[in-house]
Amino acid sequence: MPERVKTDMGGAIAALDYDAELMLRVKEGDGASFGLLLEKHRSPVVHFLYRMVQNHAVAEELAQEVFLRVYRSRSSYEPTAKFTTWLFRIATHLALNSLRDGKNERLQERLDNDSSDMPARQVSDSRPSVEQKMVYQVRLDEVRQAVAALPEKQRAAVLMHKYEEMEYSQIARVLRCSESAVKSLLFRAYETLRARLAHMA
Amino acid sequence: MKCPIETRESAELLLAYCDRKLDAESTAILERHMEVCAACREFASGQRAVWEALDAWESAPVTQDFDRRLYRRIDRETSWWHLLMRPFRPVLVRQGLPIAAAACLLVMAGVLLERPAGAPPAAPRPQSAQVEAFEADQVDHALDAMRMLGEFSHRVPGDAADSKM
Repeated sequence: MPERVKTDMGGAIAALDYDAELMLRVKEGDGASFGLLLEKHRSPVVHFLYRMVQNHAVAEELAQEVFLRVYRSRSSYEPTAKFTTWLFRIATHLALNSLRDGKNERLQERLDNDSSDMPARQVSDSRPSVEQKMVYQVRLDEVRQAVAALPEKQRAAVLMHKYEEMEYSQIARVLRCSESAVKSLLFRAYETLRARLAHMA
Repeated sequence: MKCPIETRESAELLLAYCDRKLDAESTAILERHMEVCAACREFASGQRAVWEALDAWESAPVTQDFDRRLYRRIDRETSWWHLLMRPFRPVLVRQGLPIAAAACLLVMAGVLLERPAGAPPAAPRPQSAQVEAFEADQVDHALDAMRMLGEFSHRVPGDAADSKM
């Protein structure tokens, strides 16, 4: 649930944030606005969750829960922050809970099974050779394992920074920490990733 | 310029540069610095490699029945609630507030009527019974004493005269 602050601030945020405006319409009973929000944020949420838990089926299940929670909370919604901040806060919370619940059992399964989830990557040559495919797969596994090895909060921060292109301040609000803490998380995360992936240049 | 790699706070400059998010002026300053700073050059090339590697990691597209599944779940939740509330809906919509107020008044009245006007008498404790029994004895003793005093007072004038004599 979004934290409650003064109504005039909520109004200002709603004015700047079209998504928050849509959500206020959902609150008034406009189902079509919920459809628009879903259309816009479905893929980013699923992709973020997929990269967090590294299992497509689990990611979609969690994403369903995210949007269900958004819908359930419509009557009490107050636009106290950007809509995406609230949305990714729910998504991050669910992803972290999922990782903590079944981390040990599922980790290896995720890394083993996930190759089948991946779309065939378009390589410059229209018909990639078997060797090219294998090289790509090896590199991809290395990336996924490097990201999976990051501590959960660092992973969430990197994914929001890299793929959702969020500002430090927004990541800080999603993770409920200070901006300097986010910078520190990202610095350490990228330091680890550079050590593991720099050779791929 | 001070080397950004020396302080963690300034490393975000390098991150922004690698992500091509740095403004033109800062980019020019940083590039001049990097011409003479091997550590910053190494940081930048390493960071670019990380971002390229992460770019290669594509997520599978969302399954086509995602929305259908979600709306089914939403419908299930809402229909469950609607079914539960359906018998009360017309009444609740039209007269919800007055009925709620009347119900509250009835409950309050019921609570008040249930309570007796005065406090219920406390069950007589064994001690009070003893006190009552003790008081009856005292009355008997008092009556005996009065009787004895009466007899005594009849005798006293004679005794007094005897003593005068």
